Amino acid sequence: MKLNSFLILQVRFSFLLLLVGLTGCMRAGIRPMNGLNEAISQFSNSYREPSLGSQWLVSLANYQGKDKIEMIDVRNRRRVALPGLNRADSQPISVSVSANGSRLAIVRQRADQTELLIYRRTVGTLQRIELTPKGIPRRVSIDSTGRVLAVQVSRDGKWDIEVIRLQS
Amino acid sequence: MSCICIASCTGRVERIQGQFQTRNQQDPSLSANGEKLAFIVDYNGRPSVQLRDLRNGNILPLRHLSRNQPHSSPSLSWNARYLAVIAQKGNRRLAIIEDRVTGRSHQLPIPGARIPVRLSLAPDASQLALQVAEKGKWRVEVFDLTKTIEPDQPSGRNSSIDLLGTSK
Repeated sequence: MKLNSFLILQVRFSFLLLLVGLTGCMRAGIRPMNGLNEAISQFSNSYREPSLGSQWLVSLANYQGKDKIEMIDVRNRRRVALPGLNRADSQPISVSVSANGSRLAIVRQRADQTELLIYRRTVGTLQRIELTPKGIPRRVSIDSTGRVLAVQVSRDGKWDIEVIRLQS
Repeated sequence: MSCICIASCTGRVERIQGQFQTRNQQDPSLSANGEKLAFIVDYNGRPSVQLRDLRNGNILPLRHLSRNQPHSSPSLSWNARYLAVIAQKGNRRLAIIEDRVTGRSHQLPIPGARIPVRLSLAPDASQLALQVAEKGKWRVEVFDLTKTIEPDQPSGRNSSIDLLGTSK
């Protein structure tokens, strides 16, 4: 009887240890960055499509019903100017930032066109990237150098992924 | 055979043959070093994350992400040591980060009524940006991972990268 009770107690204790251990391993240390998150929520009450660089958070922020691409310096929690990028006649759909924050890859809707673009932040220029064969871009991801893109493209009613290597 | 297409601005196009010609491929995410690509493939109505080495086209194994579908919004660290994705566990959506070196996974359940929609991992995996839906609004929250997982630095600065087949 005592042996049975001891065994049951041991099994329960082991289970409890396992549960605590697993929970601890999985969740320990993953903490919200409260200061940054408060700053983000004060800028706009709607953010989506986040993309993190080494020091930058780029996302689509909504202001009075209009989406715009916004870049935040994670270290000082300040917004960074993106001259020439957001236009009144276009709607951003997807954005991705290079690790050093110098380039942004963008998919945007403008008039009846869906465009894939590269924005060079240091010089404030936009370059349109043509898809060959033609297709409709939907999402984009950029590598650390800003010279390799992976793009989700619609062709013939099917989603494919293209990797595009830019030469400059 | 589905195609992942490599193109340049000057029109040179190289196609890498994939495995699933008839399946949709969505949500591309490049590793910061540009060598690995994570994306979502639709397996008979079960969107599942897949990781591909762009240098040779090989599909790389994922220990923890063969279940918990549907997957969405994959994101890779610098050398693709870490792959983060939104997955399903029971009746909840949550973020899962798989460490391809140690084989461990880290789960980030979202408390309350917030539903994770999209995510982005910082290149060194020090932070995770999460788009959540709450009361009909989208917000972005950033989490600090530095106490939980070791950084994935650019090539040559991390002893673990040889295990990932990353060139120096």
